Amino acid sequence: MTITAKPGGSYVDADLSADLAAAALDLARRFHNGATLWVISPQWEPHAHHVAVEFVHPVIMGKRALPSVALVDPDPVAQARVASQPGDLLIAVASADEPSVVDAMRRAQAWGVLTLWIGSGPRPPAGAAHHILWIDTDDPMVPATGTFVLMYHLLWELTHVCFEHPGLLKPASDECTDDVCVTCSDEGRLGEVLFEPTDAMSPALVRTANGEEWVDVTMLGPDFPQVQPNDLILVHAGAAITRLGDERLREEQTSKREVKR
Amino acid sequence: MIESENTSFLYPFIESEETDATSLLDDLAASARDKAAESVRLQRDSLDEYHDALATAGTEMADRFRRGGRLYTFGNGGSSTDAATLASLFSRPARGRPVAAWSLAADNAVVTALGNDVGFELIFKRQIIAHARDRDVAIALSTSGNSEDLMAAITEAKQRGLLTIGFAGHDGGRMAVADDLDFCFTVHCQSIHRIQESHAMLGYRLWSVAQEHMARTRNGAHPL
Repeated sequence: MTITAKPGGSYVDADLSADLAAAALDLARRFHNGATLWVISPQWEPHAHHVAVEFVHPVIMGKRALPSVALVDPDPVAQARVASQPGDLLIAVASADEPSVVDAMRRAQAWGVLTLWIGSGPRPPAGAAHHILWIDTDDPMVPATGTFVLMYHLLWELTHVCFEHPGLLKPASDECTDDVCVTCSDEGRLGEVLFEPTDAMSPALVRTANGEEWVDVTMLGPDFPQVQPNDLILVHAGAAITRLGDERLREEQTSKREVKR
Repeated sequence: MIESENTSFLYPFIESEETDATSLLDDLAASARDKAAESVRLQRDSLDEYHDALATAGTEMADRFRRGGRLYTFGNGGSSTDAATLASLFSRPARGRPVAAWSLAADNAVVTALGNDVGFELIFKRQIIAHARDRDVAIALSTSGNSEDLMAAITEAKQRGLLTIGFAGHDGGRMAVADDLDFCFTVHCQSIHRIQESHAMLGYRLWSVAQEHMARTRNGAHPL
């Protein structure tokens, strides 16, 4: 008996279609503001290429060509880090346990990049990306049955519908009206270290969603250097208040890779 | 409010004043479900239409893999990425037995060298000449069924004794009437997106049949 795969479209229920709609509107808004879309898929590079070519060279004549690039170097985090600028977009097509994608999605917050994560199998934790577009199945063959292709086709199609509604593409003014907007209130913004401090009392140059700034790192302890390039820190009122558990994450990734081998 | 929505078509520029995204999001979600349903229908219809031919083609592929044959896949644009996904399905499947397979668009050095030196329409044919043995398999993916670079490679592959398989769309184009194709699977649809989604499913079926057949022969039913 030949194994029959479930058609990808049968996964697109009310929830997933709503997720796709919300993601498409965010994509259109960011493109409207000049974003470039970066795409990573370390396990299935062709998917990254397909997303990029979809946006760059639309199959429907007359649709806008949009800037999109597949990042397929062996280290997609390093590639996305240097390529992306605040306001950009990052799509990952990957399982929830792909270490480099877990890392890229987390760091994207410091880069000021809006993230979309397409995949199947066990879900990433809520909040791991701005938009999690997920196929809830344990079928390991899903990446090869056209299901992911359908997902990014739908994203592209819906995004271009949004361009027909320019009134809705303006920066959402309601985003920062709350009294407790975490993004704006400087309440522990995620930062990624660019330059370590030159001595024990010097600041480090740090990248956050707002751009680059010199940050006081003395609160992190007396050991110099308190931070190194690519460390993730929480920045509050110009000072680093915490260094995130980067080492632990790295160890987890290493052990996962070893298990895979 | 309701009145203005009902008459909005009279004011084409009203869209730029739109501020509430709720109805757009509802429309987008409904559109996604419609397109997804169409994708399902087309995949099922295509699998049904080609049920027997897919079984035969998959079995012939397995016979060639058993003799050490390898698979070349090729297409242009999005279809080149789908060709690469198909090659990966054969060469490093999540389960089952891997066999040698690769996409002829994968190597930038080779593709640009050929495109620059001998012409774009020969980028795949020239590689078939270099790589192919008579026990190999060639799969070409084209939503139009008309791509010159694919047709040239298919003709070359057929002459060299390869099993030749085409995935086409629309009315099948040149592929549908090509004597050089042993099998042509045309997805009858006008949408390039929906065609590509069905191509993936057809390719997956070929892989499933080939896997099943390889496992059977390995168990001794057809000893070498």
